[in-house]
Amino acid sequence: MNLRELLGIAWQGILSNKLRSGLTVLGIVIGIASVITLLGIGQGAKLEAEKQVQSLGVNLIYVRPGAANLSSISQGQGSAATLTYDDAQAIRENCPAVEDVAAQYNSAFQVQRGEQNTSTSVVATEPSYTDIRNFFPAKGRFFSLNDLKEAARVCVLGETTANNLFFDENPLRKQVLIRGELFDVIGVMEHKGVTQMMDMDDQIFIPLSTGYATLVGLNAVTGKQVKSILVRAKEGEDMQAQFQITNLLRLRHNIQSPDADDFTLRTQADIMQTAQSITGVFSLLLGATAGISLLVGGIGIMNIMLVSVTERTKEIGIRKAIGAKYSQILSQFVIEAVVMSVTGGILGIGVGLAGASALSQFAQWTTVVTPSSVLLSFFVSLAIGLFFGIYPARKAAKLDPIVALRSE
Amino acid sequence: MANETIIELKEITRSYNLAAEPVHALQGVSLTIKQGEYVAIMGTSGSGKSTLMNIIGCLDKPTTGTYILDGQDIVARSDDELATIRNRTIGFVFQQFNLLASMSALQNVMLPLVYAGISAGERKVKAELALKELGLEGRISHRPNELSGGQQQRVAIARAIVNNPRILLADEPTGALDSTTSREIMGLFNRLVDEGMTVIIVTHDPETASHARRVIKVRDGKIQEDSTREARHEIN
Ligand SMILES: Nc1ncnc2c1ncn2[C@@H]1O[C@H](COP(=O)(O)OP(=O)(O)OP(=O)(O)O)[C@@H](O)[C@H]1O
Ligand SMILES: [Mg+2]
Repeated sequence: MNLRELLGIAWQGILSNKLRSGLTVLGIVIGIASVITLLGIGQGAKLEAEKQVQSLGVNLIYVRPGAANLSSISQGQGSAATLTYDDAQAIRENCPAVEDVAAQYNSAFQVQRGEQNTSTSVVATEPSYTDIRNFFPAKGRFFSLNDLKEAARVCVLGETTANNLFFDENPLRKQVLIRGELFDVIGVMEHKGVTQMMDMDDQIFIPLSTGYATLVGLNAVTGKQVKSILVRAKEGEDMQAQFQITNLLRLRHNIQSPDADDFTLRTQADIMQTAQSITGVFSLLLGATAGISLLVGGIGIMNIMLVSVTERTKEIGIRKAIGAKYSQILSQFVIEAVVMSVTGGILGIGVGLAGASALSQFAQWTTVVTPSSVLLSFFVSLAIGLFFGIYPARKAAKLDPIVALRSE
Repeated sequence: MANETIIELKEITRSYNLAAEPVHALQGVSLTIKQGEYVAIMGTSGSGKSTLMNIIGCLDKPTTGTYILDGQDIVARSDDELATIRNRTIGFVFQQFNLLASMSALQNVMLPLVYAGISAGERKVKAELALKELGLEGRISHRPNELSGGQQQRVAIARAIVNNPRILLADEPTGALDSTTSREIMGLFNRLVDEGMTVIIVTHDPETASHARRVIKVRDGKIQEDSTREARHEIN
């Protein structure tokens, strides 16, 4: 007996109770489809997280005031007033591994334009911000070094902010009031979306110097305080840059022991790691959910095969009486289980692919179905048929011919 | 060839260990049957005829005793070896036909050839020939439930002889059939015996048994009488 004949016998067995076989196959379809879809969601989330982190800019290092450890829990990073514009300048001048620096001071202010009134995060920074953040104006221009030097009253609007204030109008060469101060709109930023739980499109950018002059003012004790310093390290020199910045700031802040650090460095790699560990857990949970539904599908196959063996005891007796061997009965039932599970697997892959693309189409989720997860699903369905089919099949093959013939 | 011993039973017993008390279905049966013999086994209900047939047909194993089939000790054979013997050497016809309901007559008759490893093309030719021999050439694609009792039994006989077994065993093959159909089937058995097949049938019916040259009477799991046709004629 060759495989084709065995498949034929198995197929006859499956067709002899179409509804039951169909429901059993459905269990596997659901299991495999959820594996495909949920893996797709997991992979998509991972990709999205990586993309977001990438989009923050390469070789990015954040320097923030406040300690990284315990105290950061109590006071929150960035709340201590220990970083200054002079620190940023010192990093720019003294750290050879640093490519570029942008100090920033951001705070929420009331912004007005005609009737429109909104509270928005105003980011006072330097022109180098665009390169470091990899975030550029779509319309008009970003402010220049000259604007910075002259503390020009110019601003660049985020996409959402521009829409909120100007609707369909072109904001360029118009004016807005930030906390009552008049600013010329010279540009509108490109769309960036939400990164790091911050809406990058709902912000207004102004020169740092203008910020000090009009909005923040200078602190008598700390001088030009900044909320964070964005640093771009030279290609492949992240570690050196971190080392140089840390040493420089300790020196400038008179810090003897690392425990007393009043600033924190976070790299893109740190952020990426956090994002990956979160999406990793997410994927694992999704995978486990899918795995459970597959297990249930597999138990369904076993259950139906056991019922089938019981119901078809007479048939097994007849087959044995006319000369079927152990292995021939065994393979008949194993193949029947495998044909059902693989049919379910193939249909499930189709449904899963459709589900994943529907999710990205209608729910705007990023889903990524890799060929390896399709292949994995296929072999998992095959393995399920083998694993859950073997016990009922052995039960059938071991039947005593006389006992089996007498049944019914 | 005709006088070669093919079946040899020595002191065969078969007991069932039921919870209440053991049932001794066969209690020491010794029997020799030669190639080409036509044997009828008779006896009252519960006397052990089916048990004996199942043992001869290698469907069941004796509790004690020796069974030599075609020179081979059957008791020592593995389940798979017995399956091969049932497939190649023995054809079995059951009282309840035992056809597979989901298959056509042709598919039912081809089934032993499937397990014999014969190619699909050859299988079809052989099965069609066997069905034709039984006058069923017009019914090959019918399912068992689309056939009369006599037709079903003829399909079962075609299935039993399709692989050219040396022994044909029939346990009350005409029990469910009317007398005309029975006579037809007995005629067929006569022909198979003439062709050299060893035929053993179990029957209650003296008329059916009278076709056989040798009649074995079983009672309470023992052979009560074993007579050839000539001997029986003398008694009458
Ligand atoms: N599987 C079994 N378990 C227990 N007892 C059995 C079993 N099979 C047969 N017997 C017993 O063995 C004895 C012989 O049974 P067997 O079927 O051989 O009788 P039989 O001569 O074929 O009768 P019938 O003419 O009614 O078919 C009976 O007493 C029966 O009850
Ligand atoms: Mg009987």
